[in-house]
Amino acid sequence: MNQLLLHIAQWIESLSWSTRLHESYYMYNWIESTHVLTISLFLGMLFFIDFRMLGLTMTNVPASRIAARLHTPMMIGFVVMIVTGLLLYFAVPVRVTQSIWFRIKLVLLVAAGINAWYFNRKMRESSAKWEDQSRAPKPLRVSVTMSLMLWAGVITTGRLIAYDWYDCYRVQSEFIAWAAGCLAE
Amino acid sequence: MDLLVYFEWMESSLLGAIGKSYGGVYAIAQSVHLMSLVVLGGAVLLTDLRLLNLIMKDVPSETVVNQAHHWFKVALVSITLTGVFMAAAVALRLYYNQFFWAKMLSLFAGVLFVFLVKLPLLSSAPHAELSPVSVRLVALASIAVWFTVAATGRWIGFS
Repeated sequence: MNQLLLHIAQWIESLSWSTRLHESYYMYNWIESTHVLTISLFLGMLFFIDFRMLGLTMTNVPASRIAARLHTPMMIGFVVMIVTGLLLYFAVPVRVTQSIWFRIKLVLLVAAGINAWYFNRKMRESSAKWEDQSRAPKPLRVSVTMSLMLWAGVITTGRLIAYDWYDCYRVQSEFIAWAAGCLAE
Repeated sequence: MDLLVYFEWMESSLLGAIGKSYGGVYAIAQSVHLMSLVVLGGAVLLTDLRLLNLIMKDVPSETVVNQAHHWFKVALVSITLTGVFMAAAVALRLYYNQFFWAKMLSLFAGVLFVFLVKLPLLSSAPHAELSPVSVRLVALASIAVWFTVAATGRWIGFS
């Protein structure tokens, strides 16, 4: 699997536009800035939905209304982050593929997505019974707390990608080398 | 007033020493700074997009503004504390960085704008009685100034 991922990354890296993007001063920086700043839109809306479920804000507004009204701007932000995230990956594919922090980030992203699907399903099934209450029922509050923790993890691991403590060119433990998929420096 | 002496003091302080010596602590502070940006930016966007009548049109704008402002203040404190810690470790580099000064000026302008212009206007009367043009201009100005704070902050790292 690591070999396949590395081959794909090396193929992307061999493309001229990958090199042009990586070496550009303004384009790469603007893409990264957009990726970072859009978390205010995507996760900002998501955090406020979660805060409402926990009874921390706008408790006099039905919870399902807040979730519904903030869904569109949140998804606009999500699309922008996915597009810019892919472009950032395409600019430095080999290093990012072999970054343990990037791999953990992807796992957390998938987990957050599954958690979001579970939360939305449960909310749709039950919101009529509790949406005017200040807090969601306990199972949903647990899911929302998981959401906040998972996204905090995504933010943290995303930030840590820039640090080279566990890069493959350094001597690493066998576990780290395996988990990061170190096959090429 | 030459601020260089304060920046030199900050970098040689315990805070600066911790930030320089413990990369993991510095990285965590950066992550908390980013999470605070999420809440602060989210509060700003929630308020200003509502004032522009783009989202949550069936929720009273007074409710959105008042509730979001609470989290704006929480995030502002958090982002300031983590920002000071991060700055202490690289104070001298920041002193000579034009984007840092641009960020500080826009941050100062943003805080003044919120507490001396935006909030006084929005609490002076029910929003339905305020001039729609004024409300929209305030919302747009708010988005512009906080975008500038965030963008110049990111560009510190590039320069």
